[in-house]
Amino acid sequence: MAVVIKPKKFFEVCVEAELTPELALRSVDEVKKFKVYYGNKVVELGELFEVAKQGDEKKLILDGDFSRVKWIGARMVDGEIVVKGSVGANCGAFMRGGKITIEGNADDWLGIEMAGGEIIVKGNAGNLVGCAYYGDAVGMTAGKIIIEGNAGNYVGEKMNGGEIVIKGNAGDFIGTEMRAGVIEIHGSCGFVGGDMRGGEIRIKGSFELLPTFKKTEKGWVGDVNVKGEGVIKTF
Amino acid sequence: MLWIKNGIVVDPKNKIKAEKMDLFVKDGKIVDETKVKKQDCTVIDASGKLVVAGGVDMHAHIAGSKINTGRTMRPEEMRVVRNIAGKFRATVGRVLLTAPAIGYEYAKMGYTTSFEAAQPPIGALHTHEELDAIPMIDKGALPVFGNWHLVFKCIEEKNMEKLKALVAWAIERSKGFGVKVVNPGGVEAWMYGGNVKSLDDQVPGFNVTPREIITWLIKANEELGLPHSVHLHCNNLGVPGNYQTTIESIKLANGFSNAKRQVLHVTHVQFNAYAGSSWRDAGSGAAEIAKVVNSMDNVTIDMGQPIFGHATAMTGDAPFQFSLHKLIGARWSNKDTEVETGAGIVPIGYLPNNPVHALQWAIGLELGLLVDSNKVALTTDYPNGGPFTEYPYVMAMLMSKKMREGELSKVNAYVQKATGLTSIDVEKTLYEVIHMTRSLPAKILGLENKGHLGIGADADIAIYNLNPLETDTSKEFEKVYKMFKSAEYTIKGGEIIVKGGELVKEVYGRTFWVDATKKADIQAVMPDIREYFNYYSVQLGNYGVEERWIKKPARIEVV
Repeated sequence: MAVVIKPKKFFEVCVEAELTPELALRSVDEVKKFKVYYGNKVVELGELFEVAKQGDEKKLILDGDFSRVKWIGARMVDGEIVVKGSVGANCGAFMRGGKITIEGNADDWLGIEMAGGEIIVKGNAGNLVGCAYYGDAVGMTAGKIIIEGNAGNYVGEKMNGGEIVIKGNAGDFIGTEMRAGVIEIHGSCGFVGGDMRGGEIRIKGSFELLPTFKKTEKGWVGDVNVKGEGVIKTF
Repeated sequence: MLWIKNGIVVDPKNKIKAEKMDLFVKDGKIVDETKVKKQDCTVIDASGKLVVAGGVDMHAHIAGSKINTGRTMRPEEMRVVRNIAGKFRATVGRVLLTAPAIGYEYAKMGYTTSFEAAQPPIGALHTHEELDAIPMIDKGALPVFGNWHLVFKCIEEKNMEKLKALVAWAIERSKGFGVKVVNPGGVEAWMYGGNVKSLDDQVPGFNVTPREIITWLIKANEELGLPHSVHLHCNNLGVPGNYQTTIESIKLANGFSNAKRQVLHVTHVQFNAYAGSSWRDAGSGAAEIAKVVNSMDNVTIDMGQPIFGHATAMTGDAPFQFSLHKLIGARWSNKDTEVETGAGIVPIGYLPNNPVHALQWAIGLELGLLVDSNKVALTTDYPNGGPFTEYPYVMAMLMSKKMREGELSKVNAYVQKATGLTSIDVEKTLYEVIHMTRSLPAKILGLENKGHLGIGADADIAIYNLNPLETDTSKEFEKVYKMFKSAEYTIKGGEIIVKGGELVKEVYGRTFWVDATKKADIQAVMPDIREYFNYYSVQLGNYGVEERWIKKPARIEVV
């Protein structure tokens, strides 16, 4: 059954709540007892959010402004999350399956180290989309992220598979240290593909090319500094 | 006052092999029964339990710029939360622990002393600030000398008086404990992008060779009469075929002697015991090294045992760290410590199915098994070989062939042909392993009141829930490992700090430092020091650490 969660108030500090569609399988009372962090305190979800049941799918509807709620959909494996507002950082981190739809904007660290599933953002996304978490060697490995608006810097850093589509513009350092997968940008962006070893970056608008890429039939291939075979091309 | 009743004591320094006896503690020292009033004592019932001195780690990287840079560049290490703030401080870290975590984890394991093995003299203040943040244990730090321009200059001039003065001055200024030498000459060559390849290569820009640096520093160290000997990290570390350089370096101790201790300690020898010409045909040189060490009575070594899992390579050996980075492609940080030394840091993981890592693991054990127990101390060169929290694993492995056979079946079969580990039947006794982790490292460092339980020793005691009279260490290795992992009691300076494997009290140990300034004419070197300070980023007056800045300094004066 779908569970609808609504914030009761404006959050003074960020909430860390690993809300996944698994919650939809629980009773309303159980969902209210789910432990979340409010700042440095552990509280029950029911203290901060209103919870209601609706329909019978494995689905979570987050109704309202969740821009100060982090880790939504982290580690989810199936089911669906619909956010009727914006989300905070680390949304969809480490997710392996299912679908997240964000009607507003997404903050930084969207879909980090994602290994499956789909994320759709109707608004804009922040920095570090689909990249590796602090200190890790590999970012996103599979799945798809679609951003209808713009995205920030470091999109697809250390990406090793999967697909990121940005309908608007993106910032600098796109696909840095990328190893595999595809990044498609319909607008323009800044520096692209530093230390790229593999994968493909397609850009429709303008972008800044590093001098370490060779022009070939396939597009620009590099980064030669790391003997990379990544491809940057326009479409 | 403490009365430890009916414990089964193993105390190699005092030749006590598993005897049931009582111990008495007063004012942080172990005292005779007659010195305490029994009715005032807190009684610890240790019947059927093993009572030994607190562990002494003579070589670990626990404080200073290297481990701190390691922490900065490895945020993933900080995801493991070990303790949430409350009665004790918050601690995090997987293998690279935060300062309080280092103290707590040592204490839980029954260790009470640990020495930072490489302190650039100019970084002494940082090292001491960080040592002061480590609770529970006694500490010290070894300043590095093997690549310092001033050292080279004294040796070039063949001026022993000047060299002695410099060593005494620098140890006093850095509140250090002894003379550490890291890849002598090699780190200076690295300033020009190179390295030294043999003991007789000339150091760029100076008319000295690694051989001269080592022998001159041994001579200076012995003439000053420092408690610890020269502590050498050999040239060519991590290079296949390097075991010959190691043997040549060990032989440099010939001709020197000291009644109390060794004259040369060669550290983390595992990293310097490779045969072969490349990683494709690398093998073990442990047996040859063991033969040489066993034949000499003035040299000791420590193992540098790798532990499978995560680790971080961090040494003052900057050129080695660069080649490691090139070899495995991991992140790399380089440090250039002005005219004194350098360093590098590279994250690493030891995997059982990787032939090279399995080889390193086997060589470490070979050294531990083949070298006389009175000459090899147990270390992992934390965090280079892995966490010190796995010392119990190494202890259990040394004591049980059965455990080794089990572990050997899990690692890459390359070790079967490249090392002699499978054919080694040696099983160290509990007495020998206690010696390798307590009395021997204390003796190597020259700490007379550590590592034993005789009258007058520091009351650093570990009690384990293991009856040595009823345990067959060869068969019951799982129990041995588990029991050494967490001490039933850890007593530091007479205070109970760990009970049942849990922390009960936070204490701060002392920082040992050596003052040998009376043994040399410091003025002999001052004009040179003043001149060199034109090239330092700090003024001479701001260089070094004052004793009053240290939380609990313990000065050891050499007279």
